[in-house]
Amino acid sequence: MTDIDAVQTEVIRNALVSAAEEMSVTVWRTSRSSVVREILDYSTCVFDADGFSVAQAARMPVHLNSMAACLQDLISHHLPLADWDDGDVIITNDPYSGGQHLPDIQTFKPVFLDGQRIAIVGILVHHLDVGGGAPGSYDASATEIHQEGFRIPPMKIVTAGVRNQAIIDLLLANSREPENVGGDFASQLAALDTGAQTLRRIGARYGQARLAAATTRIQNQSEAAMRAIISDIPNGRYEFADWVDDDGIDTETNLKIAAEVIIEDDQLTVDLGGSSRQAPGPVNCTLNMSRSAVICGVLMSIGRDVPANAGCYRPIIVNAPEGTVVNALYPAPVANRMAVGHRIVNAVMGAFAAALPDRVPASYYGVSYAYAINAINADGSRQVYFDLECGGWGAHPEGDGANGFSCGFHNIANSPIEMIEGDYPITFTGYGLLPNSGGAGTYRGGLGLFRGFRLDAPTGSFAANLDRFKIPPYGLAGGQPGRGGKLTLTRADGSTQALPSKVAGLALQKGDCLQLETSGGGGHGDPSQRSQALIEHDRQAGYVTIDAPSDRRTES
Amino acid sequence: MSIAASAPVRIAVDIGGTFTDVQILDEQSGAVFAHKTPTTPADPSIGLLTGMTEAATLFGFTFAQVTMLIHGTTIATNAVLEQKLPAAALITTAGFEDILEIGRHMRQDIYAGKAEERILLIPRAQRLGVVERMRADGSVETPVSAESLAAMIDRLTSLDVAAAAICCLHSHTNPAHEHQIADHISAALPTLHLSLSSDISPEFREYERSSTTALNALLMPVVGDYLARLEARLSAAGFERPVYLVQSNGGVARPAVAAREPARLLLSGPSGGALAAETIAGQLDLGNLVAVDMGGTSYDVSLVQNQRTRMISQGEVGGCPVRLPMVEMRTIGAGGGSLAEMDHVGALKVGPESAGARPGPAAYGHGGNRPTVTDANVVLGRIAPERFLGGTMNLDQAAAKTALSQHVAVPASLTTEAAANGVLTITVAHMASAIRLSLFEKGLDPADFALVAFGGAGGLHACETAADLGISKVVFPRDAGTLSAWGMLYADLRHDLIRACPMPADTAAIAELTRLLTAMTAEATSRLDADEIPASDRYLEAAIDLRYRGQAYEITTALKSPADLAASVAQFHHDHDQQYAHSNPAATPEIVNLRLTASGRLTKPLQADAAAAEITVDPAKQQVFLDRWQDVNVFARHHLPAATVAGPAVIEDPHATLFIPPDWQLITTPNGALIASHLSTTEVRHD
Repeated sequence: MTDIDAVQTEVIRNALVSAAEEMSVTVWRTSRSSVVREILDYSTCVFDADGFSVAQAARMPVHLNSMAACLQDLISHHLPLADWDDGDVIITNDPYSGGQHLPDIQTFKPVFLDGQRIAIVGILVHHLDVGGGAPGSYDASATEIHQEGFRIPPMKIVTAGVRNQAIIDLLLANSREPENVGGDFASQLAALDTGAQTLRRIGARYGQARLAAATTRIQNQSEAAMRAIISDIPNGRYEFADWVDDDGIDTETNLKIAAEVIIEDDQLTVDLGGSSRQAPGPVNCTLNMSRSAVICGVLMSIGRDVPANAGCYRPIIVNAPEGTVVNALYPAPVANRMAVGHRIVNAVMGAFAAALPDRVPASYYGVSYAYAINAINADGSRQVYFDLECGGWGAHPEGDGANGFSCGFHNIANSPIEMIEGDYPITFTGYGLLPNSGGAGTYRGGLGLFRGFRLDAPTGSFAANLDRFKIPPYGLAGGQPGRGGKLTLTRADGSTQALPSKVAGLALQKGDCLQLETSGGGGHGDPSQRSQALIEHDRQAGYVTIDAPSDRRTES
Repeated sequence: MSIAASAPVRIAVDIGGTFTDVQILDEQSGAVFAHKTPTTPADPSIGLLTGMTEAATLFGFTFAQVTMLIHGTTIATNAVLEQKLPAAALITTAGFEDILEIGRHMRQDIYAGKAEERILLIPRAQRLGVVERMRADGSVETPVSAESLAAMIDRLTSLDVAAAAICCLHSHTNPAHEHQIADHISAALPTLHLSLSSDISPEFREYERSSTTALNALLMPVVGDYLARLEARLSAAGFERPVYLVQSNGGVARPAVAAREPARLLLSGPSGGALAAETIAGQLDLGNLVAVDMGGTSYDVSLVQNQRTRMISQGEVGGCPVRLPMVEMRTIGAGGGSLAEMDHVGALKVGPESAGARPGPAAYGHGGNRPTVTDANVVLGRIAPERFLGGTMNLDQAAAKTALSQHVAVPASLTTEAAANGVLTITVAHMASAIRLSLFEKGLDPADFALVAFGGAGGLHACETAADLGISKVVFPRDAGTLSAWGMLYADLRHDLIRACPMPADTAAIAELTRLLTAMTAEATSRLDADEIPASDRYLEAAIDLRYRGQAYEITTALKSPADLAASVAQFHHDHDQQYAHSNPAATPEIVNLRLTASGRLTKPLQADAAAAEITVDPAKQQVFLDRWQDVNVFARHHLPAATVAGPAVIEDPHATLFIPPDWQLITTPNGALIASHLSTTEVRHD
């Protein structure tokens, strides 16, 4: 193998990260939908010639390793690399061929220089709507994947530079948002070309042998760093279980997520074997989704980032038996996979808390609070208002959890109220921190949020994919759980009713109001040890308005 | 060269963390003089007056000759970053008191177990709600509740605060409720500093507007007190001429305006450099420039396109958004003090951590023993230890070598020279990436730009950075170390007015635009009247922010007149296509805001050509490591030959060192700038 020094390695690493960033900027710059431009739900990745990841530009932990694992599935089981030719683009969105859920369309392009494959570039974009039983392809009532949208098995969407327009036409004909999806898809393909061009420049400049030597060294560095971090954790087996409220179909059954973390020197195994059987409703994870969640849980527990590439995933083994919520089999529905995904992160961190008690915080809110109103205006036109919220952080061994701030498996921005009210027939009734929602402890869990809104259009419908209503975020070391979430409907006539965490197509009339309350984080340490200064600060700010910690438990 | 007793003199003072830079412009001859004095952090106006007084003695003028003082200050920025702000209250729509604390709730540090610290400008107990509500279209959903207003005033009175910010939902489309609340507060608490969101930043997005308004209110006492002290000090010294403060928008404002809208000073740091780059673009007739400022810890990239600095409508300070126009800038942690080390994964990292001013690079001999970019330059012979900063500071080359050897060369199995070269190669790669992304995200091509390099460390790496990007021309302005203050000499007065006017951009909008623009023009006129700007020196430029329906981002497009709306719309479709690679000319875009920039042109005396070198001194020789050690010509900048200088060469001036690599050649220009050209750009042009 070509010898390569630290300087060349670093310069090539910088060039490869820049290539991923340039693809990312191209997607952002040329795409249309708010999912891409505001929520930034996409990621870009550079792989070596054998399909192992080297550099990634991802802003969301859920995208960690997602493309790398998918590409390996494609190569091993569907389209061997020998069949990948210059000018091809391979596409899939199939959860049962390495994907996570149908809206995430993944594309890969091999990069050739002088007739030899020197790299692969990949882009994953969450598309606004790929059909199925509900707008946004989030059908909370789905019981099999065929209700969730248009499924694309691994195939060539571009062959030797020629685009297969028939497939694109099929996809767009099955989408409620053909203009947005068509625009975003064009941007996804254009960004792959940008990446390929940059990779060819890098290959020509440094030479194929040196590029290969550098990618190997970069992966080995990450692996060594990850092994060093694991070696610092005491050997042992650490177990923890957390729960998902239900799958929205069978509302009586809690779903167990069990994680056993096994540390053996510089090797880490996470066994999810004790988890519930796969559920009828769409909360299931495929194996690759569970792997992403485990890696996120590991990185959050050690509190350190290691340059994300194939090397840093090598020392982590994930065991998840087939047919469970953490390794669901066809035809299980998966659209709201984040319900189980967040809980895997919570369970892995809970297990690590026993190994690293000074470093690991109590449970964060653990839900992507996704909800949508499909408003039908007086002129018959439809508008879908979609939003995401977050809650409170778990308290840390060294301080209170953050109030109302993105944490864990996702990373989201809220939408400005003034923007929503300007664009949709929606009026907000309130948005703020929820006093008393953080778990008590020596350090308090962060507060959850409330967000209330009213429909001003004549009619509409409401859908939600929430969780942590029944089983609140856990506390650690004697800290109490955070308060669970809640969803309340107040009809225009003043009558109110509590809604479950999963809602599909609830009919609304003008003047109906919804109020979402998100979970606070768990507390850390014995509440009786909390300092007077912090208690006084909470009281002054109104973060806590009630007296004894024991009162708060009954309230939640 | 000295200043005639009759000559009018303009002074610019830029107060930095360590030094206060003073630039003196003889408006009669066009000659420029520079002076530096230590900054006095406790009260920067002391250092300012010291610098002016010393400059007057040095260059031979009296304060009576001075026409104006242009002042760049970081007092507002430092107060926020150091959290030395007074107590203040935020008055807002009831039910939405926590918007300032929640923010946009996206995190930067993805895997941290403990959330990143965020500055909370106004704590929860001091955020007071009033029952009232406007709708998005400016109509009233709920009138201001008299009872709630009275209760709020009671609570406000009981709080010990120096200032209050008012930010109600949708006040950008109808400020009536904010005015009503403000009137009641003023009646009850007449001395309280008060800032209304509908005055300072009337744009939609409630969090960004709240943050901007809160910052403005908090800074009113801070900046007001400073300006009062400054005025007293100047007047005691017999200085009675106009003073102007540099704003974030690249323009200046009178003290009375700055005291009322101090948030406009928050991001003024880049303004001086941007003004300088714009002035240079004009003087050298270059349309497009990438301006890079490399100092001890950071590398700042800004763009000049068609001789105008690129602006953005929002920046941030300490993580708090400031929704006001500012010079666009991308900053990365790369500077002379950037530390090089093998990190925990065994990779060779340079920056973003910096040795700062203390202990500084190992070669400074202040106790630093970790290697920096400056140490690499010393080891390679690009910086001569005995001539650093004009010989005012002797460097320890052995210490630089030891540091590089211990921390880089030995662990990476490299020779010390290869390690030093490697540190520079990696630094250049980072800087080139930052520039490439800045251009890339706007659909621009580096080959259409020239690079202008300044700051203490900018000249050492500019040519290599340019070569990496396929840029073939590099400009080294004179006085690279004090360029920011120099740029301020050429500033104009500037007021940015904005009104929200959400509506489709069709012919029906023309009447409303005309009505709004007439009102804004009247306001601009009264502001320029107060500035005592003669009619012939006034420039008004209108623009509209446009977007396609449903988009969350806008493009600012010039508006010649409301009747010419169609031309602006056509321009919008074109710009959208250039920037985002698609457009929809069949669609009617939405207007979001109407903007009016009112400039008062301050006289622009032409800068005199630099005196031609009277003597050409034969270059000294210095051993520099390229691929091997070799003798390289070293020139003093003020003794450069009139003919072309071929690389490799080292050029030294009192504040900075320039390195001209092989394959580059250098020419001098009449205004003192040097221009380097790449001889074989085709080799490195990519794609």
